[in-house]
Amino acid sequence: MMKLRLGRVALLFCVMLMYGISRSASVPSKDTLLGVAPEDEKYYKGWSSSGTIKCKDGSKKFSKSQFNDDFCDCPDGSDEPGTSACPNGKFYCKNAGHVPLFLYSSRVNDGLCDCCDGSDEYDGKIRCPNTCWEAGKVARDKLQKKITTYKEGVIMRRREIEQAKLAIAREEAELSKLKDEEKILKGLVQQLKEHKEQIDKAEEKELLQKEKEELERKEHEESKLKESKAEDNTEIIGEPEKNDIYDKDALEDNHKTVGDPEISDHTNRVEQVKEDSLQDTEQKEGDFIVDGKAGPDTGNQEKHVLEDTESLSREELGRRVASRWTGEMTEQQSKEVDTSKDNDPQNHEEKLEDSHDEEYNGYDSEDVEQRYDDDDDREDQMEECGEEDHDDSSSSYKPESDDESHLSDITSINSQTWLEKLRQTARTIFQTVNIFQTPVDISDVARVRKEYDESSSKLSKIQSRISSLTQKLKYDFGMEKEFYPFYGQCFETKQNKYVYKICPFKQATQMEGHSTTRLGSWEKFEESYGIMLFSNGDHCWNGPDRSLKIKLRCGLKNEVTDIGEPSRCEYVALLSTPAVCVEDKLKELEVKLGMMNKELPQGHDEL
Amino acid sequence: MKLYAILLFLFFINSVFSWKKDEFRNCNQTPFCKRARSRKPGACSLIATDVSISDGDLTAKLIPKDKVQENLDNQEIPIVKPLVLAISAYQDGVLRLKIDEDQSLSPRKKRFEVPDVIVPEFLNKKLWLQKLKSEKSEDGLGILSVIYLSDGYEGVIRHDPFEVFVRESGKNGKKVLSLNSNGLFDFEQLREKKEENEDWEERFRSHTDTRPYGPQSISFDVAFYDADFVYGIPEHATSLALKPTRGPGVEDSEPYRLFNLDVFEYIADSPFGLYGSIPFMISHGKSRGSSGFFWLNAAEMQIDVLGTGWNDEFSSVLMLPSDQKRVDTLWMSEAGVVDAFFFVGPGPKDVVRQYASVTGTPAMPQLFAIAYHQCRWNYRDEEDVYNVDAKFDEHDIPYDVLWLDIEHTDGKRYFTWDRLLFPNPEEMQKKLAAKGRHMVTIVDPHIKRDESYYIHKEASQKGYYVRDATGKDFDGWCWPGSSSYLDVANPEIRSWWAEKFSYENYVGSTPSLYIWNDMNEPSVFNGPEVSMPRDALHHDDVEHRELHNAYGYYFHMATSDGLVKRGDGKDRPFVLSRAIFPGSQRYGAIWTGDNSAEWDHLRVSVPMVLTLGLTGISFSGADVGGFFGNPDTELLVRWYQVGAYYPFFRGHAHHDTKRREPWLFGERNTQLMREAIHTRYMFLPYFYTLFREANMSGVPVVRPLWMEFPDDEQTFSNDEAFLVGNSLLVQGIYTEKAKHISVYLPGDQSWYDVRTGTAYKGGVTHKLEASEDSVPAFQRAGTILPRKDRFRRSSTQMENDPYTLVIALNSSQAAEGWLYVDDGKSFEFQRGAYIHRHFIYSDGKLSSYSNMASAGFGKFASECMVERIILLGFSPGTKKALIEPANEKMDIELGPLLLQGGLGSSVLTIRKPNVRVTDDWTIKIL
Repeated sequence: MMKLRLGRVALLFCVMLMYGISRSASVPSKDTLLGVAPEDEKYYKGWSSSGTIKCKDGSKKFSKSQFNDDFCDCPDGSDEPGTSACPNGKFYCKNAGHVPLFLYSSRVNDGLCDCCDGSDEYDGKIRCPNTCWEAGKVARDKLQKKITTYKEGVIMRRREIEQAKLAIAREEAELSKLKDEEKILKGLVQQLKEHKEQIDKAEEKELLQKEKEELERKEHEESKLKESKAEDNTEIIGEPEKNDIYDKDALEDNHKTVGDPEISDHTNRVEQVKEDSLQDTEQKEGDFIVDGKAGPDTGNQEKHVLEDTESLSREELGRRVASRWTGEMTEQQSKEVDTSKDNDPQNHEEKLEDSHDEEYNGYDSEDVEQRYDDDDDREDQMEECGEEDHDDSSSSYKPESDDESHLSDITSINSQTWLEKLRQTARTIFQTVNIFQTPVDISDVARVRKEYDESSSKLSKIQSRISSLTQKLKYDFGMEKEFYPFYGQCFETKQNKYVYKICPFKQATQMEGHSTTRLGSWEKFEESYGIMLFSNGDHCWNGPDRSLKIKLRCGLKNEVTDIGEPSRCEYVALLSTPAVCVEDKLKELEVKLGMMNKELPQGHDEL
Repeated sequence: MKLYAILLFLFFINSVFSWKKDEFRNCNQTPFCKRARSRKPGACSLIATDVSISDGDLTAKLIPKDKVQENLDNQEIPIVKPLVLAISAYQDGVLRLKIDEDQSLSPRKKRFEVPDVIVPEFLNKKLWLQKLKSEKSEDGLGILSVIYLSDGYEGVIRHDPFEVFVRESGKNGKKVLSLNSNGLFDFEQLREKKEENEDWEERFRSHTDTRPYGPQSISFDVAFYDADFVYGIPEHATSLALKPTRGPGVEDSEPYRLFNLDVFEYIADSPFGLYGSIPFMISHGKSRGSSGFFWLNAAEMQIDVLGTGWNDEFSSVLMLPSDQKRVDTLWMSEAGVVDAFFFVGPGPKDVVRQYASVTGTPAMPQLFAIAYHQCRWNYRDEEDVYNVDAKFDEHDIPYDVLWLDIEHTDGKRYFTWDRLLFPNPEEMQKKLAAKGRHMVTIVDPHIKRDESYYIHKEASQKGYYVRDATGKDFDGWCWPGSSSYLDVANPEIRSWWAEKFSYENYVGSTPSLYIWNDMNEPSVFNGPEVSMPRDALHHDDVEHRELHNAYGYYFHMATSDGLVKRGDGKDRPFVLSRAIFPGSQRYGAIWTGDNSAEWDHLRVSVPMVLTLGLTGISFSGADVGGFFGNPDTELLVRWYQVGAYYPFFRGHAHHDTKRREPWLFGERNTQLMREAIHTRYMFLPYFYTLFREANMSGVPVVRPLWMEFPDDEQTFSNDEAFLVGNSLLVQGIYTEKAKHISVYLPGDQSWYDVRTGTAYKGGVTHKLEASEDSVPAFQRAGTILPRKDRFRRSSTQMENDPYTLVIALNSSQAAEGWLYVDDGKSFEFQRGAYIHRHFIYSDGKLSSYSNMASAGFGKFASECMVERIILLGFSPGTKKALIEPANEKMDIELGPLLLQGGLGSSVLTIRKPNVRVTDDWTIKIL
């Protein structure tokens, strides 16, 4: 053992000696395999009997004297690993104490220290101190730190994956259960419906009968009054029509109609309505082209932008012309144009989807919570999220309230109970209520109706839950579902005046005060789950639609950093998350650290 | 509904064809142009009287023939005041003609003569004329007064009708150039208003020009004899050979306009005026050669090139020689005087030399300045700068200069930094400088009107701004918003401005920082035609209309002087300017402004750069990739391949465009762009040698084919190929997915493909396969090219790298070439600290001689060796070389022509001849 160590020290000494020599000499000795990697040493010792070696690409041969002689003989640079002669060459620096490095041969003797051991600068024009030990230590410490992070991250990731898998399984179970229930409930609802319809029919019949009697009874009386009532009738017919218009109007222009005291007179009002509705359609047509919000106003603005610079003030003109290059002024305009996107069919779809979402939300957050607030699972979920959500300064990790409730599980154990109850009630109804009996029992009728209403609303809720679950489970949560916890989460970070909010599987936005710019909608993962891509964000004036690329890095908490805009409206950011702390990478890092430690001159401490 | 549809449509049109044509005046909207264009040939009735010699000049008076001019339109009061004419001769065949109002008759105002353009040395070259020769004109009807101009040439003035011309010596000598042969000369003298209500104001769009001095324009015709084409008068995005703007068969066209303007999204083929104006025209024809005409005048100018036969209906009243081919032109200017120069040529290089003797030769740039520049509006912050810098290294792509556009400043206050984005500008520059790289920041002439901004405070206190017509500091709109403009026409203000570049004054600047002058036309966003009102007032009450085209030139000059001062006169300045005027070549580089990422802009960049070169501005280039818009990857790659041969090689992009640094388009395209940039670095020694040649002679770095092949008619209108020096021909590829490319190779010697070494016959159009690897480039047989084949991070690290010489033999087994080397930075070369080698191959041996004009005091030493000599056009049996004086025999072997690219063509190579570039030596090929 002792001997071995001594040997190593001697070897190191030798290396240093050679190093010293080579540094002082302007051209390195041919025997030193300058710039050659250890794995290639054998290759460069394989001189043929004629004293030549083939270039690595086989194109030519070179002799011993041509090796590292500062003239490029091999197109692939293999005869000049230690000089700058071949543009395609690579120089190997040993960097004992740090990691070895391949340099472009153009870095050799260029007056800049590239290798920490200084071996790339040997022509005497510059002295490069050996900084490998210090640099290596920094690098090793950094790597060690990274490994520590990875180790912890791997565990967190594993845990999250397990939970995700459970949650998914649960959701899948729920889904299939819900589908079963849906089936049953559908049948039930159908039966109740039939029942109800029969009751309705019976009732109607009864009513008709009654009416008939009543009619007969009052016939002559009524015929007397008929003529005098005629006018009132028209009034009644007119009324709902007016209301209709009024409502529409109110939607478009509250200010004008609602609470306008002048509108009391009948004819007056009709006129007003007409005018408004005219304007309305006009506006709509305008909107279709330019803007949903500002109609004629935008038109005017547009007109200015469009050229008529003559009537502008000097300052306006200056700004206007400047904006051709910068797009700044017209940004406003483009924002407005953006809102007009509501008018294109795609956006309509989006809008619909959105409102659909809201429906789910309403369902989830109100009804479900109220009805099943003894639901344990849901609380558990919340706690789990809370655990990770240790707020930090710049970046926060928030469950998005509306989506979060998707996670709540309506199929709890007692679901069986409510369905059973429902069935039972129905059964009793079917048994007790005799629909063929006339007159129908009033309380029976109410029961049937109530049951029908309740079941059909339950059915529709179940159906929407099914569709939301189906949609969620369709997302790509990664090879091991490691990104499942991202669903329904948003990450926020503040940078200068902007707050960025990134909601994986949904969208990313940039907020400045009250104005929000969409950076993109969720598109997909890229580069084998190394990047999250949001695309088709708000349009940029004179530029592309905004987009955001988020690079994922292993970290112990979900944290967004380094948001930037390298090209206009193309954003990039970094998200550190345990979700990408994969074991393979950890192993790789450990091997690397092992290598680095092995490269250490063992006797360093002694020296 | 309809209204919206129309507006939307207009908006669409606007965004597609964004050139705002309506914002710029055309000739019809420009009264002096309209007037001059409507004059009929022979309308001029002036005759020369009192012709005599005084003070070494020929002088004369011009008066109307009938004393009182008859006025058909009844609008002008007859002008009876005589004009004063002076003709002087200068060495090397330069005739100068001046015509102005008679100062002794105290005109209303002294008309503006452009100062600080003519180099002082030129005035020393004046020939002191002693005598005048009188003779009868050929037709016997008139009297000619003749002076000596140079050997073989005479200057002549015909008295009645007045005409000035240069002819080959002798009574019947052929005309070379003439003025007023078509009788279009007109000179509107300053006068008082005829009546109180005479309206001198000119209105254009919402702007009113008060024109307090009324009409004062000058126009005349110039004829170029034995010319096939005329060239020059930049800056226009149009062909090299100027197309006629009037005449039979010519579609109605605007004249070529010379009025410095900031044109948003200019179009690629039009005579409209761009950022710069050089009223210098060169003619060329097969039968005689070249001649040139230069009018030193800084007011708006419009120039018509008149197609043959334009004046046929007036031929009876004109006395033009019918046996000589001729190109007529009409020159019109809004103000100023006639100060015109006739250059006799007869070769194209003679003309550019003669022009350079008047306005100066191009400055010698630092070596880094002719390498690759990386720019973008904007590299956002220090981190962005470091990232881009690191990426170049990561991808092994060399670059020398990283640029910062307007966003680096604190609120567009030049000389300041946005400290949020650039907290440590010195450190940033030093970090780049450690890799031998430089930085450039932008400094524009508009000064933010902000009391807390020191430049504004000083300038307003000292009264250093241009004033508006009412005498207040002119207030216009530019990047910073409300701005004023420095009156750089005043030398005092220029020297004040120059001080601002000192390291103490420009906080955050370091010796590796250089400057970019943009918007110096000047651009005024809310001014008439996006510029300054013509009635704005400069130093000495000169109206802006009189010096408009020179404004940017003075600004460029002041900035460049500032950098010289900053470096104690030891560091060559680098200043890029957008505005141009004759003489700009002495102060730095220029670029062709805000072009677009379109194929036709790549195409037109070549004639634009060639034209600039012909008119003195050798150091020019177009934004690689195109400023506006996103180039297709193929276009970007092609642009790098062509741009690598521009004298000024810079990639630049608008801030709305996608990032386009060369590594962003996949490995293959990175490789192609890397190779294009490498090509530039490989030829840097050659380029640097050519910049020195331009610096000495005025002959541009990049030349039209006809400059080297003046007898080859096929080259006269070729502007898709160009020559780099005399040795390298480059053919651009300007179309998408080109399969084939036709290349005309001029002359009777062969041309060698620089990548493959394949020889192609001269005098033939070759149809070649278009390769994606490069655009075709050829070395001319009979030349020797110096190269450096090692690619470093920047040109700085190449200093000690060895040379490769490529000898391409001509049919008489001979070749020659030059190499110029100096320290690449200082002015020591002016004291002789350089080496200039002349390599000659003849009689089977290559010799290196010193080409030093005279032994200076300075000395420049170089350790550089020649590592490789490549022999093209030698017989394949060549086996041995003998190197003298070392008396060493070497084997000649086969080696690659290019190390990069891996084409694998093997050529005869002398391996490591071990000779130093500084030494005299000889290598015998055995």
